[in-house]
Amino acid sequence: MADYNYVAPQEHATKGGVLAYLLTTAAVLLLMMLFGLVMRAEQAQLISIGANAFYQLMTLHGAGMVGIAGIAGAAIMWHFLGQYVRLSTTVLYANLALFLVGVAMAIGAVFIGNFHGAWTFLFPLPGNSMGLWSNEAAATFLAGMLVLGTGFLLFQLDIARALIATYGGLGRALGWPQLFGHDDGKAPPPTVVASAMVTVVNIVALVVGASILAMMLVNLYYPEFAIDPLLAKGMIYFFGHVFINATIYMAVIAVYEILPRYTHRPWKANKIFLLSWNCSTLMVMFIFPHHLLMDFAFPKWMLVMGHVIGYLNTFPILIVTGYGALILVYRSGIVWDMASRLLAVSMLGWAAGAMPAFIDGTIRVNYIMHNTLWVPGHFHTYLLLGMVAMVFGFMYYVTKPAAQHKDALIDRLAYWAYVVGSFGFALAFLYAGKESVARRYAEHLPAWVPYDRIGTAFATLVVGAALVFVGRFIARLAHARSAHLRAPAPLGVAA
Amino acid sequence: MNARYWLALRRKPGMFPALLALWGLLALPPVRYWLEASMTRHMIVQMPLLVAIGSALAHSLSRQQRCRIVAAAGGPLALLTLASFASTYWMMPRALDLAVASGAADAVKFVTLPLLVGLPLALAWRPLGVLGRGFVWTNLISMLVFIGWLYIAAPLRVCNSYLVDDQARAGWWMVYAAAGIFATWLGALFVGKPPATVDTPCAAGYPAI
Ligand code: HEM
Repeated sequence: MADYNYVAPQEHATKGGVLAYLLTTAAVLLLMMLFGLVMRAEQAQLISIGANAFYQLMTLHGAGMVGIAGIAGAAIMWHFLGQYVRLSTTVLYANLALFLVGVAMAIGAVFIGNFHGAWTFLFPLPGNSMGLWSNEAAATFLAGMLVLGTGFLLFQLDIARALIATYGGLGRALGWPQLFGHDDGKAPPPTVVASAMVTVVNIVALVVGASILAMMLVNLYYPEFAIDPLLAKGMIYFFGHVFINATIYMAVIAVYEILPRYTHRPWKANKIFLLSWNCSTLMVMFIFPHHLLMDFAFPKWMLVMGHVIGYLNTFPILIVTGYGALILVYRSGIVWDMASRLLAVSMLGWAAGAMPAFIDGTIRVNYIMHNTLWVPGHFHTYLLLGMVAMVFGFMYYVTKPAAQHKDALIDRLAYWAYVVGSFGFALAFLYAGKESVARRYAEHLPAWVPYDRIGTAFATLVVGAALVFVGRFIARLAHARSAHLRAPAPLGVAA
Repeated sequence: MNARYWLALRRKPGMFPALLALWGLLALPPVRYWLEASMTRHMIVQMPLLVAIGSALAHSLSRQQRCRIVAAAGGPLALLTLASFASTYWMMPRALDLAVASGAADAVKFVTLPLLVGLPLALAWRPLGVLGRGFVWTNLISMLVFIGWLYIAAPLRVCNSYLVDDQARAGWWMVYAAAGIFATWLGALFVGKPPATVDTPCAAGYPAI
């Protein structure tokens, strides 16, 4: 029988590298949120920056947010995985350095070169700007993505190296002996399982991404070397979808590690947990065709696969994690503070955000909903209220001065502003999507503007709350450097 | 470090004559002409075999010899750089043409692919660690796909010696090879037991291959 008693983990100081990641996250996240707010205000016709500037901001917002979600997720994974395996600090910094170079190239391409072909750099748009941007601008953006991807590839390879050094192989890190044999209760901890899954899928995604980026770079200058647009779209979406999905699988490690510290109940990797993560390792790589349902020219089997796997993959990890979190918290006497609240609400945000995708992954629905604001409605829910809530929860946790520290009123207010703001903001997108408002339109019809205005108001709330979170994080940064107890003992349990 | 690698890469002195024989076989005019008559066989069969001969040669050296060469070359990264420059040269269509047209150029290929690509790569291999090796593999895979696509999509013949359809076929084989290498490499990362033994590194601190 498996042995599932809670053993308090050793608290440790946050490494400088992780803090550098978090500080970068704070800065980029805030800036990109401001860009988002400006875009939304433009659609709401509250300001007038023009279509060109809108698409510049949209390109940077997309690339910046996806990249920074990767950086923030990486920080969480590195911080906790470091308890179990030996990771390289040099590679950690190298990834950050390459990220910053990649971002600088993207910003240069957009603001100096006027590139605004969206973060998905969908072929053949980058090379067909009709005079709006040069090939050099497009090439700089694509090369920036290549540099950024190289950093993440190194980072993931180092994680693979460390997992293999400790566990012998990724199979063992994914708990195969316990999954396929007798569960002796000695499966790797959830953090290790999640890290192994993310490593596998990200390595595959990044290699595919590098190939298509290199192909597009050649095609920019030598268009005779033709690329099949469908193939390009498949490769780009495979890369982009897996990468952004992986960010939440990295960030959820914060939930696996921090909630048990608050509830004094262990989160062990039992058979069901292992099964769900192993299934998702495969499914995450086959789910992306649900973005291609509109492309009738794709082979039918791919679209059917996207539909079926889209349905299947909505559940395993989400249910195992959401349900796991509920039973962990239920009657545990957990003390709610900013960190535990944000982590708990992130489960709700993730689950709520997955539902619109589930609906849109249905071929019949997709005919109508695709390319409407329904899609940004879906991913802003799970990213803002799921992924980013986990990141803010982690920031509150590592900078907490003492276990019994009480949060100030402004933080608690900011928490509610964030939750209400994010839901309202996402719902405004979803509702507009239901009304068939197209996504990626700089200019909206008068009939759409009321939703945009409501969305803008809620977005302002989100940005305000994020300012408080980031301000608190920076003000308390010094506390992250010491190894003290951060989670208060549950009520009724001796500390 | 992983015991599996250590066992796999132990000295195999008996291999040297076998290698020489294989090299000689590849150099025999009928075999050479047959392999070089098609771009696919030239690039996907003959050239990788020559590289493999060089790397097998590394394994027939003694531990001390390997350590000495790695140290003399300035470490694993220097060897890797050498191998990548030498292999880049042989990836150029012009070099391929030359090898077909001139016996001297072909002889250079027969010497440099084993000695300047296979051998240094094998010597650098283990010291590179999982991270370095992974980086080499992932680069190789994405570049194989990329070059394969270039050959498939090229609107003109890149080599004078080969026809367009042969070129496209070679391109597809590169894509298949990339997929095969990817699956094998990634699959290999999944298997393995927790490390049991640690082997002694070279004096300079690099683990012996
Ligand atoms: C205050 C918070 C945010 C605001 C106000 C905001 C606003 C927007 C707006 C207005 C769009 C364009 C929608 C359209 O018309 O198609 C957009 C797109 C997008 N946002 Fe956000 N956003 C926010 C947070 C985030 C976060 C946290 C992420 C990811 C971690 C994110 C990722 C994206 C992506 C990937 C796109 C798609 C860009 C494209 O279509 O090319 N956003 N956002």
